[in-house]
Amino acid sequence: MTILTIALKYLRGRLLASALTAVSIALGVGLAIASILIASAIKEGFVAGATDYNLVVGAKGSPTQLVLAVVFRMDVATPNIEYTIYQELKEDPRVAVAVPVMVGDAYQGFRYVATNTAYFAAFPWRRKTYSLSSGRLFGDDPVDSPAYEAVLGAEAASRTGLRLGDRFYEGEEMADHPLIAVGILRPTHSADDRAIFISLSSFWGMNELAHAMVVKPLTAVLVRPKRLTDLPGLHREHNVVPETQAVLPSGVLLTIFNMMAVAQEALTMILTIVGVIVLLYVFVALYSATIERRREIATMRALGARRTTVLAIVLVESGMLAATGGFGGILAGHAAAYLAATVLAQTSGLVIQPFRFDAVQPAVLTGVILLGTLAGLLPALLAYRTEVAENLAPLS
Amino acid sequence: MSPRSAVVLRDVRKSFPLGDGGSLEVLKVEQLALPAASCVVLRGRSGSGKTTLLNLIAGVALPSAGTIEVDDTDVVALSEARRDRFRARHIGYVFQSFNLLAAFSALENVVLAMSFADVVPKRLQRQRAGELLARLGLAERLAHKPQQLSRGEQQRVAIARALANNPPIILADEPCASLDTATAGEVMAAFLAVCRQDGKTLLLVSHEEAALGDADQVIDMATLNLAETGKATTTASP
Repeated sequence: MTILTIALKYLRGRLLASALTAVSIALGVGLAIASILIASAIKEGFVAGATDYNLVVGAKGSPTQLVLAVVFRMDVATPNIEYTIYQELKEDPRVAVAVPVMVGDAYQGFRYVATNTAYFAAFPWRRKTYSLSSGRLFGDDPVDSPAYEAVLGAEAASRTGLRLGDRFYEGEEMADHPLIAVGILRPTHSADDRAIFISLSSFWGMNELAHAMVVKPLTAVLVRPKRLTDLPGLHREHNVVPETQAVLPSGVLLTIFNMMAVAQEALTMILTIVGVIVLLYVFVALYSATIERRREIATMRALGARRTTVLAIVLVESGMLAATGGFGGILAGHAAAYLAATVLAQTSGLVIQPFRFDAVQPAVLTGVILLGTLAGLLPALLAYRTEVAENLAPLS
Repeated sequence: MSPRSAVVLRDVRKSFPLGDGGSLEVLKVEQLALPAASCVVLRGRSGSGKTTLLNLIAGVALPSAGTIEVDDTDVVALSEARRDRFRARHIGYVFQSFNLLAAFSALENVVLAMSFADVVPKRLQRQRAGELLARLGLAERLAHKPQQLSRGEQQRVAIARALANNPPIILADEPCASLDTATAGEVMAAFLAVCRQDGKTLLLVSHEEAALGDADQVIDMATLNLAETGKATTTASP
């Protein structure tokens, strides 16, 4: 019988207490792992989902709201700008590509995004690529005869169950202009997976107000300048006029990350407190277990166990509790991160990949085992110092 | 030619410090020699120093003065780690309250004692533990936890545990005191028989008739312990 098997026997001997201790460690570790994974995945999700365009031109208001609404579809859309602004930008010699975007209502929770075919075009500078898993893209139909064709993002297609050729609409007022699914995109791992893309003409045709307007509305224009040196000029020009604001998406991402950093600091504090509470719980559990079995420890010593042997038994017990809790916590943390990713993906346009295995998991597990073993140090010393003769006195 | 002594005590004293700086001498033994392979019964009233004497011989407590030789080894002179190892290999201890480990089965309680001594090879430990328990009538109880055993059975497990490493000396502190008369008689008979058969030196604290009748020697603490007779009591601090 080795120290390991003796420690295991003791842990199994008080199964409920051991399980509760391991669960408390697992909860603490799971919380930490889930927080780390979700926080870093959200950052990566923002970076990966960010537009390849350098400038977003929209109505005056919050820059963050504009980017969140147009790029990530996470906020309500900003007020509209006139379509002529897109036309001016398209004609601007400094602009390489300008893409109009209109963010509208939703079908079963999946936003309508009206744009033109340039939105899906492949450019040498684009990281994101769009390809169809089936069907075709809608065409750039004229304003007076919209085709009411829709291209579905991968998740929008799978979750609504729409297939090519299906006609759909939401709300009786839209019944006159049902959309027809003509294409389904491959996953892009961005907010576009949850979008239903239609042409601007279709959108304006479906929307009564827009239909009646002479100058058609837009939510924003995505702009890529020919040279980066033109970016400050374009940015300034569209900010000084009262109708528009121009936003650098990278700047908004920095603002979001700064806001996240504050939340992360608060979370780190909470996690530290949770960690201390869990360590105290492990300490108290092991300490009372050691107090309860001082007679057994004295018996082992009388049978020939050395002081270092009983010390090692308690340390191994705490180490095994920490290892079990730590491993369980890592699994639970990943499960929680997966759930959070699913909820985020369903409720926002942020697609995150929380299953990242790198140095974090082994580092956390090693840290937990070390700290757990440390929490068992005092109880182990109590076992080490147990007076044999004193604790062998016959029970009354 | 006199028989070899398995245990020899010379001028052994044991005192405990008192709160006022003085000390209380509870044991004073000028000379005690236990012949090898003998059964010696120790008796005396409660508090007469019987358990203290056993603890000193076992090396779980150290004397304030004097020498204790067990199997020709001065246990007082050994370092604590060596004394622990020596105890595991040379002394089997049976406690009045059995002191079985609750999380371990009967078999595991016996194997546990072997794992501290490294006398029996690991691959033979479970087999030997099973054989010892079977010898004491517990062949059907190997997997039972202490709480699933009767008090008599628990004490048999404790006896098997004391014999696990085949030590030459067995110390037993009123092993049947908490058993009913009939069970006590059975357990004691089995215990004495095993010790006799295996040629153990047995120092037994007991008031059982069976033990007294079968003993080679009966020592009364009232005569052995000079601290008990009033020749030495408390000493005041200077």
